[in-house]
Amino acid sequence: MKAPEFNRTLRQLVALPILLLILMAGFLVWQIAAATAAQTALDHSDRVTAQLQELENLFVDQETGLRGFQLTGDPVMLDPWKAAAGPIQIHFGNLRAMLAGDPGQIKAVDDLEVRYNAWLGYANAVLKQDPKVVAAAGMNQRGKAMMDGIRAATSKMLQQEHNTRAQRYRYARWLLGREMISLLVSAVVVGIFLALFTRHHVHAISANYQRRIAEITERSNDLYESQQWFKTTLESIGDAVIACNHRGAVTFMNEVSEKLTGWPLAEAQGKPLAKVFHIINEQTREAAENPVEKVRRLKQVVGLANHTVLVARGGHEYVIDDSAAPIMSGGGRMIGVVLVFRDVTEERRVQRALVASEKLAVAGRLAASIAHEIHNPLDSVANLHFLLDQESDPEKRVEYLRLAQQELGRTMQISRTMLSLYREPKAPIQIDLRELIEGVLLLLDRRIQHLGIRLERKISGELAVEGFPAELRQVFTNLIVNAIEAAGQRGRVRITMQRADPGELNGAGAMIDIADSGPGIPPEVAKKLFQPFFTTKGAEGTGLGLWVSMGIVQKHGGSINIAEDLNRELSGACIRVFLPARTMARQAGQPAA
Amino acid sequence: MSATTILCIDDEALGLEIRKAVLERAGYHVLTAVDGATGLAVFRRHTIDGVVLDYYMPEMDGGAVAEAMRRERPEVPILLLSAYINLPAEVVDLVDVTLLKGEGPLELLEKLHAMLQASRSRGGEGQLRGGVA
Repeated sequence: MKAPEFNRTLRQLVALPILLLILMAGFLVWQIAAATAAQTALDHSDRVTAQLQELENLFVDQETGLRGFQLTGDPVMLDPWKAAAGPIQIHFGNLRAMLAGDPGQIKAVDDLEVRYNAWLGYANAVLKQDPKVVAAAGMNQRGKAMMDGIRAATSKMLQQEHNTRAQRYRYARWLLGREMISLLVSAVVVGIFLALFTRHHVHAISANYQRRIAEITERSNDLYESQQWFKTTLESIGDAVIACNHRGAVTFMNEVSEKLTGWPLAEAQGKPLAKVFHIINEQTREAAENPVEKVRRLKQVVGLANHTVLVARGGHEYVIDDSAAPIMSGGGRMIGVVLVFRDVTEERRVQRALVASEKLAVAGRLAASIAHEIHNPLDSVANLHFLLDQESDPEKRVEYLRLAQQELGRTMQISRTMLSLYREPKAPIQIDLRELIEGVLLLLDRRIQHLGIRLERKISGELAVEGFPAELRQVFTNLIVNAIEAAGQRGRVRITMQRADPGELNGAGAMIDIADSGPGIPPEVAKKLFQPFFTTKGAEGTGLGLWVSMGIVQKHGGSINIAEDLNRELSGACIRVFLPARTMARQAGQPAA
Repeated sequence: MSATTILCIDDEALGLEIRKAVLERAGYHVLTAVDGATGLAVFRRHTIDGVVLDYYMPEMDGGAVAEAMRRERPEVPILLLSAYINLPAEVVDLVDVTLLKGEGPLELLEKLHAMLQASRSRGGEGQLRGGVA
C-alpha cells in the first residue's frame, strides 16, 4: 500500500461515518417534524374541545339566568344571561376559525348557531311576557326542548372532536413508534455498515503493515548479513585497509592496517587520518601528501608517490605501496575515502638486490667484449715491443713506436669507457646522448662486427639531456645488445636519435629509437617484456634487463616502450626511449620500481 | 731449402700486420688474410706449414675456419689465438695449440716452433708407416 492509497483510506474512514451520521440526523429531523405535526393536531383537538365545553357552559349560564328571572322576576337574575351573550359570539367565531379545514364540523357549528339563535329568539319572547302566561302556554317545555337540542348538538360536536382527537392520538402514537423503530433500524444498519467498512479497511491496513514490517525485517537482516560479509571480507584481506569519512576521520581499519600503523581501531576511530597513517618520503624524510586530501582534490583513484614510508605508532617504519580511492554515494557525492596499502619493505630489498645483480650481469656480458678489446691492442703492443727490440732501422723504429702509441691510445679509451660505466656522479649531470651511445657502441663494436651487423645511425638535433650517465649507459647497452642479438648474423640495426619537442604529455628531450631486422616481438611477449624475470634468451638472460632499464628511464622522468619502426624498413622490434632534457631524478641508485 | 710458410688469419688488420712482422723477423714466410673465407682460399692455393688463427672474427670464427681446414688437410697444424679464456671445448680439441692474446711474441714464437716440430715428426712417422705398407 503506497502513501496516497493509505491517505485515501484514512479519509474514507473519517468521511464516510460523518456522512452516514448526517444522513441519519436528517432522517431523524424529518421524523421529529412529523411527530411534532401530529402533536400540534392533538393540541388543536384539545383547544376545540375546550371552546366547545366553554360554549356549553355559557349556554347553561344563559338558561340558568333566564330561569331565575322567570322564577323571581328579579332583573338581577338576568346578569349571567347578559354576561354570556358577548363571549358566546366570540366562541362561535373562534370555533369557525379553528375548524375552517373541517367542513363536517363547520356544518355542525352552523347548525349549533342556528339552534342557539332559535333558542335566543324564544328566550327574548319569554322575557317580554308575563311568566305566568309563559308557563300556561307551555312555552317552558318548548324552551327546554330547544335547549336539549342545543345540548345534543354540542355533545355531538364534542363527541366528533373527541373521535378526531382519538384518531390523531393514534396517529401520533404510530408516528412515535415508527420513529423509534426507524431510529433503531438506522442505528443498527449504520453501525453494522460502519463496523464492516472499518473492519475491512483496518484489515487491509493491518495486513499491509504486517507485510511492511516483514519486508523491513527481512531487508534489515539482509543488510546486516551483507554488512557482516563485507566486514569479514575486509578483515580477511591480506592488504591493509583504512576507510575514512569525507572529513578524513578514520571510520574503519582491518587487522593488517592495525598491525602496520600500530593503532587499534577502537583508538583510531574518529581520529584524523594523518595522525593514524603517518607517511613520509623515504629519502627526504619530509611528510608526504595526505592521500585523503589528494583524493578530495582529484576525485579519483590515486597511488602514493614512490618511496613512501609509513611510520607506525611505535616508530617502526615500513616501505609501503598504496592507493586511495573515493567512496561515492549513489548520487555521485564523495562520502569517504578508502585506503589500501601493503608492506613492501621486503620486496624493495629484494628489488634492490635484483637491480644490483642485473648490473653485474650487464658487466659480465660486456666483460668478454672488453677483454677482447683490450687484449688485441695489448697483443700488438707486445709484438711491437719485440720488434723494436730487434730493429735497428730508425725509420722502422719510429713507425713501430707510432703504431704502439696508437694501440695504447685505443686501450686507454676502452679502459676509460669501462670505468665511466660504473662511476656515477651524485647529482644528475648534462649528458650528450650521442657521445654516450657512441661509447656504448665502441664497447660493443667487436660484437657487432663479429655478427656482421650493419649498423646505421641517424642523428638530428641537439641531444642534451640531464641524468646519470652510468645508468643510461646500462640502459642503452641492454637495448643495443638486445637489438644485435635479435638481428643476428648479417642483420641490421638502426639507431635513430632525434630531438623531441615539448608535447602534450612530455617536455622537450631526446627520442632514441633502436630498430632491428630480427623476427620482431610477438604480442604475447610484448605484454610481459618489461616485467622482471621475463626472458626470451633462456639460460643466457637474467630477465631483468628491460625491467631495470624501464626503472632507470622512468626515474629520469622518461618513458620506454615498443614503437613502430618509422620507416617500416626493418621487420623486427623497435624500442623507443624518451628522455627529458630536464630530469626529475635526484639521486643515483636503484631505479624506481 | 725454402722457408716455412705460415698462414696468419685475423680480422684486426693492424694487429695482423704487426704479427706478420714478428713472424717474418723470426724467419718465417708469412701469408695473411683478414677473414676466414679469404684465409681458406689462401690455404687451398698454397702449401702451408702452419696456421696462426684468431678465434674471434666476424661471419666465420676461428672454430669454423679450423674445422674446414681439418676437413681438407688435417695434417696442417693450427695455433688458435684468442682473448677468451673459456673457449668451447670442441674448438680446443680441434686445434693443436691455443694461445691467449697478450701473452707476448716470445710465447707465440716458442709455441709455434714447438707445434711445427711436432707436426714434422708426425709427418715423418706417417711417411715411414706408408713406406712399410
